[in-house]
This record gives sequence, structure tokens and C-alpha cells, in this order.
Amino acid sequence: MRRNILGKGLVCLIAAGLLFPLQIIAQDLSAREIMEELEDNRRATSNSALSRMQLSTCKFGVREGKITCAERPRVKSLESVGKGYGTDLRDTRSVAILLEPAAERGIGMLSFIYDDGARDNETWLYLSALGRVKRIASGSSDEETEPGSLFGSEFTTEDQDTGKLDEYEINLLEETVEAGREVWKIETVPNEERARKSRYSRTVLYVDKERFVELRIEMYDQYGKEIKRMLGSRVEQMNGIWVARSTTIMNLVTNRLSNMAFLEMHTGIDVPDEFLTQRTLTDAAFRETELEKLRAQIN
Amino acid sequence: MVLDDDVQFDADVDFSFDDDLFSAAFDEDSSASSASWLDNFTIKITQQFSGQVNNHSVEIPSLFSFPREAELETNRLGANIRYQNAFAPGWLLQASGQIRSYWQDDYQYEAEGDKIDIEYRVNEFFLQRSFDQHSVKFGRQTVVWGETTGNSVLDIINTTEFRDFNIIDIEEARLNQWLLVWDYFGEGSNFSSFLNIFPEFNPPAVRGSPFFFEPAFNLTDYDRDSGLQFEAGTKWRKSFEGSDISFMAAYLYENQMRFEDPISGIGDAVAQVNDFFLLGFSANRAVGKLLLNFDLAYSHGVQADSFSFPGTASLANPVNLKKDQIGTSFGFEYAISNEQSISLGIQAQKLLDEDEGLLSGQSLINDGVFGSWLVRYSNTLMNSDLVISSTLQGDLNANSLLAMLGVDYTVNDNWAVGGQIISITSNDASPLIFFDEDVRLAATLSYSF
Repeated sequence: MRRNILGKGLVCLIAAGLLFPLQIIAQDLSAREIMEELEDNRRATSNSALSRMQLSTCKFGVREGKITCAERPRVKSLESVGKGYGTDLRDTRSVAILLEPAAERGIGMLSFIYDDGARDNETWLYLSALGRVKRIASGSSDEETEPGSLFGSEFTTEDQDTGKLDEYEINLLEETVEAGREVWKIETVPNEERARKSRYSRTVLYVDKERFVELRIEMYDQYGKEIKRMLGSRVEQMNGIWVARSTTIMNLVTNRLSNMAFLEMHTGIDVPDEFLTQRTLTDAAFRETELEKLRAQIN
Repeated sequence: MVLDDDVQFDADVDFSFDDDLFSAAFDEDSSASSASWLDNFTIKITQQFSGQVNNHSVEIPSLFSFPREAELETNRLGANIRYQNAFAPGWLLQASGQIRSYWQDDYQYEAEGDKIDIEYRVNEFFLQRSFDQHSVKFGRQTVVWGETTGNSVLDIINTTEFRDFNIIDIEEARLNQWLLVWDYFGEGSNFSSFLNIFPEFNPPAVRGSPFFFEPAFNLTDYDRDSGLQFEAGTKWRKSFEGSDISFMAAYLYENQMRFEDPISGIGDAVAQVNDFFLLGFSANRAVGKLLLNFDLAYSHGVQADSFSFPGTASLANPVNLKKDQIGTSFGFEYAISNEQSISLGIQAQKLLDEDEGLLSGQSLINDGVFGSWLVRYSNTLMNSDLVISSTLQGDLNANSLLAMLGVDYTVNDNWAVGGQIISITSNDASPLIFFDEDVRLAATLSYSF
């Protein structure tokens, strides 16, 4: 199995990163408070969640001012289950299983994401070709390498990381309009310690003021050059939560993009702890049985 | 939608995103729930050609030499079928198998008297029942214990068959066996145990294949009437933050049978098997983008003389002694980037008290520290459609080197093509001397659905 399809991205966190409750009225929030609200809501929405999504990746170009694929996208469909753990449920465990393409069906990825910046996230994969569960080195990266990706896509763990706000300087740059919506434009700059673990020297987020959805995120390298951009669209309510159902991240260095289409997303699912263990990767009978129970909760 | 591949993005110029680009995912979602029994099948059809392309002669110093001419070695059409069905809560049936048809110029075609030969083989075939914290699987399956990829000293539960040189990885050469496997998933740690009441052994080289050499005596299977043979073992595994460790113990038979000359000097070779005890430990440690692997094996009562290099068989070994052996395999895997990765695995083994029991003038084939090393590199290009990989494999004494360069191109979700070039260099201290200076080319065309 190729290394490039391996990664430690956490699918439910990717989903959670674009989920924000409508109820928050936050006209006078500081930048830090806005980010804290975002973090809290990310965790809340990724907790006890069952999702099904389609992941498409392609080289892109610009035509008539619009981004578009320059080649046939590689499409994968997957199902993900996540749950919060630890103090205030600030850690997240999730498992993602590839449903398509057929050649990769059953490849599973188990991820533990820790809120504490001092703890490296952990990922295991079950690869039928190897016949065993394999730990994937994740950790931080140096400036020349890319953090682990989600099934070979441009979505990486760092892009979806939660917590660790104390390690950032957070500034509200302005209130502006993005995609026809009023947004806060917020800048986060990692401190020295965090910067050593991050590929980004600065991140700019455009947060929908009414729906608390990130409509756009810009990531900059240490030279101040924008190297990645994430765009959220198809903002709809799912289970009472505003969700950018179509999220696209563009690597502006490699001209490669990945789109995550959230086909289904269900929260409030009672996820047994045993499901978020290595057993789910290796024991297909257990996995399918438990998945059926989880799906049954939706109906 | 399609643009030139060299279109460059200017981050300073604002742009909008074509929201309809991936809208088909939502449009087609209504059909996603229409499951079919065919969904349980994965089928891959492959046509493969491979051959030795370098005209040369192989010199066996002070013995003889023989010419090695370019020739097609394989020309075969095959189908791999995999079936997985969780047909009831807690139950799973999984099976996989292959069918091969050997066409003209394939060595098996020629071994069959220039007739098309068709071969069937069941790989996996097991029934699984999972309940509470237990899982029981019975049927043909594999047990993988090693952490080191490619050449672990602990990956010795299942037998292997290196039939062709285009298979040099142990994962691909592994054969399933009839096993009863019981897994217990506890709080924070797992036990996995297996029982095998029909131990199998590495199959002899197929007549006509590159590994086949005409033996002085007919090689037969082991005589199973001499008593009950079984293998059993258990492994305990626990995960810590950043690391997984395992301890294991097993009673096993060596996968490679030992053949001795018939006592009367005529008739069939006498197949001998050897049982031994294995104690093992494995661990990994993730450090940033680096994953370190370590396996340790202590074997009590293994045959002193047996080749460990893939594809070789021990024939009429002069020394018939049981010894204890300690072995380790260790290495690392490093993700250079999303597209590139590199791994290294080193396997080293040593017989303990190796001179004990030897007659004057006798020496062991595996003298001192012996083993192999393996380096793999892969690079994915063109949105993962193109994968370039290379493997270098050699023995620790630098007597042989096997280099492989592979290119795989995915045409679309169904079609894929691949090519390999494999070069072998060896001196007369390695059994690979018979393939010294060989260069092999292989090409495959596959259709998956």
C-alpha cells in the first residue's frame, strides 16, 4: 500500500472544522473569544458523530477567474465515526473507513487527536496487503515536509487541529464581506514553540458572523507567502447545525486541491468506546455490526 | 473543465471557486444506498509478461559455467477474486482466490508439454464470529507478527512461495494456512492466539520456474503418518502513547522442509520437518515523521543449516544439528512528503554456540551473523496516478544485490498498467550466483471492478 494514501487526518474534525451553531450571538466578542467559541463548537459537533463523505482530489487551474480541475479527480468515499474524550471532551478519537474505490475498500484509519500541544496525535491503519495494523508516524513536520494527509488528499491534521489556542496570538483584523456574507477576519500567529511544529507562520480565517462557519482560510508560510487556501460553500443546516457541506482546500504550491463533500452528518450518536479502538480496524465482523447499530440510531 | 496541466495559480489575484465543480457528489447521493450483493466482490483481472532479457553466461568459479539467454518466462492471464460479506450481526465470511491461465512461452506452459495450463488457488477462506470482547476466525488466513516491513524475523507463521522474481516482498509471497484464531480485546491490551493442526511447508519450486533446479532425487511431501503435528502461539499487544509493543510465544514447525538423500541412494528424497519454540518481542516508536520498528526473536531448536534467502531451499544439508538462534529485524519508515516515502529494514540472525556439535572440518552454511537488508522508496506523481517505486535487497555479507524499479500507472478506476525492471548481482558465496547479471523486465495490465 502506498504511503501517500496514508495519513493521520481526522475526518470528523474536518467536518467539525466547518460546523458552527446558529445560536451564538456574538456581536461584541473579541478575536480570542470568537476562536474559543469556534473551538468549543468544533468539539461539540465532532463529538458522537457519524458522517459519510466524498473526497475528491485533482490538479487545479484557473479558468475565467474560477478554480477548476485540470484533470480527472480521484474520488474516494468514506464513513467516519468520532467521539470526544478527556477533560471537557477536548481530545477526539475517530475512525474512518474507505468505502470506495473498490481496490481500497476496507482500509481503515484510527486517529487520536490530543488537545494538548505537547502530545503528538496518533494514527493507526489496517492494510490488508500487510495483514496487520500499522502505526503511522505523524507528529509535527519540519518546514520542508507536509504533515500526514487524509487518504492522500490535501487535508492534513494541522489544517484541522483543535485546541492549543494559548500557543497563538489571535487578532481581529477587520469585519468585512466574504462570499456575500458578513464575516470576521481573524489572524492567528503561532508562538515560538508552536511555530516549530507548524508549517504555517500565520493563518487568516473568515468567519461567518451569523452562522459561525469558516468561509475562507488562508495559510501562510514563514516567508509570508500564501501556500494554502480553504473555501467553504454549500452552507446548510444539518441536524440543526450550520455546515459547509462542500469544503475545498487548495495547495497553492503544488496546484492541487481536495474537496470534501459531506453527504451525511449525524451528531448525538451513542458511540461505544470499543468502536474507537484498533479492533475496529482488524475485526470486520465487529466493525460492520457496530456500524449497523450506529446507522440504526439515525433512523 | 479540463485545463492545461501547467496552469499556475497567482495567489495575489483573487478568484472565486466553481461551486458546481463537485456538486455531482450530492446529486448522486440518492443512489448511494442501493446496495447490491455484487458489492461484496472485488475482482482484478491481470495479464502479465515477464522475462530475462540479458544474454550472458553465469560462471560458477572452479565448477562450470552455463549460458543464460534472453527468454520470456511468464505469459499468463489471471483473475484475483475477493469476497467479504458481514452476512449477519457478528458474522463475516471472507474469501479470496486466484485463477491463472498460462499461455505460450510461459514456463508452466512449457512444463506441461506446451499445453495451456490452468491453475486455481484459494488464498483466504475463513468464517469469523465476533461477540463481546472476543473474535474467533476459522479457515485459511494469515497471522502477521512482525513490525518490520518486508523482512521481519517474526513473520514466520505462514509459509511463503517466491515463485517468480517479480515477487520479492514477503507480504506478497505469504501463503494462507488453515488456522483457528482467537482474539481477545481487553481494556488497553489484546491477546491473539492461533492453533494450526495441519502445518504446511514452503512449496517446492515449480518446474520450469527461475527457481527450479533439477534435484538429484524426487522431492516429496512430508509423511504425515508419523504423528499429529500442530502449531500454536499467542501474542499480547499493548499500545502506549507513541508506541505499540507485543510479546509472543509459539510452538512452530520450520516452514522450509529439509530434504535428505534416500538411505539406499535410490528413490525419493526424504523430507524432514523440524519443530521449535519461538519467543518474540516487537515494538514501534513514532518520533515526528519517523517510525522506528524493532523485532526480536529467540528460537529454540531450529535446524542449524537452512538458507534464509527468499526462494532458496535447503537440499541435503551436510550438518544436521538443532541449535538455538537469536534474530532481530529493525528499521524505519520516513514520510519525506505526502508523495514520497522511504523505509529501511535490516534482518540479522545468529546461531548460538554454532561450533558445538560440529565434527572436525565441518562448518555451517549460516556462519556468524547472517541476514538481509531491504530499502524501499516510493514516489507518487500525477495526482497519485503514477507511482514510481524502487527496492534494493541484499544479504548482510554483501554477496548479492537485487534491485527493482517499478512504475505503476492508473489509467482510471478500472484500468492500470505496470512495469518492472529487476537486476541481480551476486558472487559465488550466495545462491543467487545462478542469477548473476540477470536482468528481468515485467509488464502487467489489469482491470479491477
